[in-house]
Amino acid sequence: MNYYREFAKGIWEKNPILILGIGMCPTLAVSTSVSNALWMTLAATFVLIFSNIIVSLVKSVVPSHIRIPIFIAIIATFVIIVELTLKAFQPDIYKSLGIFIPLIVVNCIILGRAEEFASKNTVLPSILDGLGMGVGFGLTLTVLAFFREILGSNRLFGYTLIPGMEPATIMTLAPGAFFTLAMMLWGMNAMKSRKGR
Amino acid sequence: MNSSILRSTIILGLTAFVATFALSHIKAITYPVIQKQERQKTESALAQVLPGYTVGEERSSTAGAGSFTYWTASKTDGAATLTAYAFIAEKAGYSGVIRTMVGVDDKGTVLGISIIRQSETPGLGARVLEAASRNTFFQVVTGRARRGGEEPAPWFQEQFRGLNAGTKIEIVKKGDWNEAMREELLQKNSVSAITGATITTKAVKDGIEEGMARLKTALEEHAKAEEAAAK
Repeated sequence: MNYYREFAKGIWEKNPILILGIGMCPTLAVSTSVSNALWMTLAATFVLIFSNIIVSLVKSVVPSHIRIPIFIAIIATFVIIVELTLKAFQPDIYKSLGIFIPLIVVNCIILGRAEEFASKNTVLPSILDGLGMGVGFGLTLTVLAFFREILGSNRLFGYTLIPGMEPATIMTLAPGAFFTLAMMLWGMNAMKSRKGR
Repeated sequence: MNSSILRSTIILGLTAFVATFALSHIKAITYPVIQKQERQKTESALAQVLPGYTVGEERSSTAGAGSFTYWTASKTDGAATLTAYAFIAEKAGYSGVIRTMVGVDDKGTVLGISIIRQSETPGLGARVLEAASRNTFFQVVTGRARRGGEEPAPWFQEQFRGLNAGTKIEIVKKGDWNEAMREELLQKNSVSAITGATITTKAVKDGIEEGMARLKTALEEHAKAEEAAAK
């Protein structure tokens, strides 16, 4: 097994958002600022890696017809761990991400990887898969947030970019997320079709 | 078939047990820290909404629906003693209840507000907590950022200072509030809404108005109870 490939596929070839099209809800919701995007990535990647580890460890004892409730229980446990830890030690971040921390439970990237990858592979590739998917998710989210924060609130990393300029608020709203995501998909597909020709 | 049902039940039960076991320990570790932060938050919010006042007693009242918590506070200004109150206003926002600590003087003028709990949309409603940054990105990158000093208060909360909570507060759409707009908005007893988050703005405003009404009832009740006790 090529370990590097297991890690790298999440970034480009099987990028969870741009190629697999999963995990859209947090993508569109928290990509309003770069710092939100980075913290969301950290939280989701933590849950992804650890749920992948546990799922790959217990895969042989879990009967296949009850695997989904068990995976959900594992994922939910890690999400609550993240939630309580952030609440206790990073209250400001917890405040600004709000409801989207508990909603990591229903982020389909995590259940998707548990079902498609971790339940069929051993621990080490599962860790790499989780890490790669997390990085792919994070990169997409950060690029989205980068454009949305600049255009939508005239800021970068929370600092004003051009003093006195009125930003295009629509970019912080849902339509702005769809526009930016569509642009990214367009760019990615254009690059792929050029390569394929 | 029967043995497979039994086996599934045991495995599911075991999973739930392990998850609960792990979480109960995590909770035991984080709970005191979270509690401590909540208490600190309440104290710093009180200090923020009642600047210069000494907080007296905490009272709760059953006026209206649900419980209502308020604090009395006083300040000596020359010969006179000024009284003020702080209360917690709660109102459902766009996603969940927004809890606001409000400080008012005895005439109903808002001394300050502090939003202590909200779960609004990041980037929209959650901007009730956003402070206008004093530094631009360019200044930070070139190392000319102003450091230290007091953190600026979030503009959304700042604009409530000086409004009359006893009468209706209006909402206007003027974009982000700044110091230059203070006079004009105060005259109209109005606040500027957060762009794209009018529901959040309205929830905070309604919460303050309702809280003020409940404070009046609670104070009257308290006065009556004291009178009855004195007899």
